[in-house]
Amino acid sequence: MEKSNWCRKSLLGIEELTNKEINQVLDLSKVFKNELSDVEKRSDHLKGKRIVNLFMEPSTRTRIAFEVAAKSLHADVISIAEQSSSLTKGETLRDTAMNIQALGADAIVLRHSSPGSPLFLSRIVDVPIINAGDGAHEHPSQALLDLYTLQEKLGSVKGKKITILGDILFSRVARSNFWALSKMGAEVTFAGPSTLVPKRFESMGAKVSHNLKESLSDADAVILLRIQHERQSSSHFPSLAEYTKIFGLNKNRSKWLKEGALILHPGPINRGVEIDSELADSSNSAILDQVSNGIAVRMAILYLCTNSTTS
Amino acid sequence: MTVKCLKGGRLIDPYNGIDEKKDLYFRNGKIVSDSEGKSTSDIENIDVQGKIIFPGLVDLRCHLNNDSVSPGNNILAASTEGSAGGYTTLLAMPDLGSIADNPATIEFIKDKISRNSKIRILLSGSLTKGSKGEVLAPLGSLKDAGVVAFTDCPLTAQNNQIFTKGSEYASMFNLPVIDLPRDLSLSRRGNAHNGPQSLKMGLGGYPRIAEELFVQRAISVSKIANTRIHLTSISSSSSVEMIRDAKLKGSLITADVTPHHLSLCEKSIKDFNPNFKTSPPLREESDRLKLVQGLLDGTIDCIATAHEPYPEHEKNVEFDLAPTGVIGLETALSVCYQTLNPQNGFSWLKLISAMSLNPSNILNIDQGRLNIGSDADIVIFDPDKNWIYSTNERSSNATNSSFEYKKFKGKIVTTFFKGSEVYCT
Repeated sequence: MEKSNWCRKSLLGIEELTNKEINQVLDLSKVFKNELSDVEKRSDHLKGKRIVNLFMEPSTRTRIAFEVAAKSLHADVISIAEQSSSLTKGETLRDTAMNIQALGADAIVLRHSSPGSPLFLSRIVDVPIINAGDGAHEHPSQALLDLYTLQEKLGSVKGKKITILGDILFSRVARSNFWALSKMGAEVTFAGPSTLVPKRFESMGAKVSHNLKESLSDADAVILLRIQHERQSSSHFPSLAEYTKIFGLNKNRSKWLKEGALILHPGPINRGVEIDSELADSSNSAILDQVSNGIAVRMAILYLCTNSTTS
Repeated sequence: MTVKCLKGGRLIDPYNGIDEKKDLYFRNGKIVSDSEGKSTSDIENIDVQGKIIFPGLVDLRCHLNNDSVSPGNNILAASTEGSAGGYTTLLAMPDLGSIADNPATIEFIKDKISRNSKIRILLSGSLTKGSKGEVLAPLGSLKDAGVVAFTDCPLTAQNNQIFTKGSEYASMFNLPVIDLPRDLSLSRRGNAHNGPQSLKMGLGGYPRIAEELFVQRAISVSKIANTRIHLTSISSSSSVEMIRDAKLKGSLITADVTPHHLSLCEKSIKDFNPNFKTSPPLREESDRLKLVQGLLDGTIDCIATAHEPYPEHEKNVEFDLAPTGVIGLETALSVCYQTLNPQNGFSWLKLISAMSLNPSNILNIDQGRLNIGSDADIVIFDPDKNWIYSTNERSSNATNSSFEYKKFKGKIVTTFFKGSEVYCT
């Protein structure tokens, strides 16, 4: 593969990316998706590289997708979870990362509960840092795979109306998706209860709605988010049951959607809470496409960051 | 004993309403009259033409953050940085390694201060035991041990009964209660202001209302308990309005603001730099402008640094895990001069009142004035000197300044404490 002209060593967030950079990731994702579908075409671009997954928060999808992506490019992958690392012995993130670098990592994929922790690490170590989710700040690989999936289904997202429904306040997916979609010309509405979708989000440029019907009626796609009840105190809404009653997407309410409107969800899904089981498995659902596209997009991210012209 | 004469400078003495070119004489640690100064032949003239001369600054909120192993180190560091910033009097908050809630701790720290400090460091006692907000501290005994204020800063009693009774009890000793207004139930996460910048960054958790509810509490309690309550580190525009209204109605309430809240807003945290993580958090530009206005119109009585040193390895971690607080003694005056100078209504008399005379009056001490017979706590400031601040130049191991490598115009060149030169560039 020819040398990329990607100049960014680390992928920390979508907010800082240019449209050109976003397109570069998506174009390369398409190449890798093709490779994935055909064993003959598979390449070994990251052969000999050592990718370290440093996951300080529970994750299934993202961690495995990065693992599969790295292995598909023939990289060596080491996954470290908080429970199995020296962080439980009081070692700081800074020291852990410096040790990982000293052990010869070529890139660190970081999932951490602290917003800004990937930027923090990128100032300390020389290897590329790929943000796999930092607190409620950003989750760039998720937004890129969502954008990839939407473009695959809708053509372009320019001028399209996308509603992101659920717990926006505590969601890194909502923020990264907002940046990706709005940069590409989509109109983004954040919808959900007023405590989880405060009006303040209008300062980012998003529309804010507390009315489910209104927020669904003209959407070309709706991205559902899991209600992270374990993160909030009970002060943000009374109960999951009440959430489902007012904002849950069920068969009946899906009639409010335009015909062919897509349903996305970054997972993990709480069936029967934010979405009915039946809908999650319906033909409108792109949820499993997201998962498989996630591998190609992460291959592109790993390839670009480890081959950037600055590194 | 030789008389020293600061000759040809512009003298600022808010207590006596003086802002004019005037010589200042001192001998044996005390300021002496012009006639006494002129009458002696044993005189050392110091040329201070083009310089500004004013009383040593007084800080109402300074955290020593002592480590319990060698408490002297931070006392020495605070006095070194303080004197470099023109401070000759600091009020230490009760978080002294152990909480200053008993006379023995006060005596112990007083001894350490006398051995390690080049300037005056006064102590406050905690309002409640362990600053936990549950049981009142022995305020009378603390006063006997020498404290000049009561406060649980950086905490405050969340229980309104304790705060009210504590303030009422404190009124008996004629010492002020200093309160950092913060409703913890609304600010427990407390990493940043809930504004547009922090929203994008996934931070927040310390909204204005957490301060404002407790500002109102202090105003109401001050009235019913007839206590002088001083609100420290005000950050919200509505707090300024509430304090202004209360003062118009004759409230005893007073307030201060930090140099960083006067000069910075929440946009500063955009790179997740913990050296902009302050308590309370930096808020929006609209708040900043109201704070400046409040200071200039006298609603806010004084400027206090909220100086809080941390070693680099403790402060420079993930933003949400980093402790709140920044150092600020050395930069306070330069920051304020630079920020306020272009503003309408700025005057040297106002600035020095806010940094010297007013805090002295709140503590009921007789610093902050250049009277004959006063301690010769005197600062020489060069308004034209350009300099770049760097924490590397200090012996202190704390580097948590919001103004690292900042360029300033205007610098303190000499500080005298009781007539002795304790700082000189």
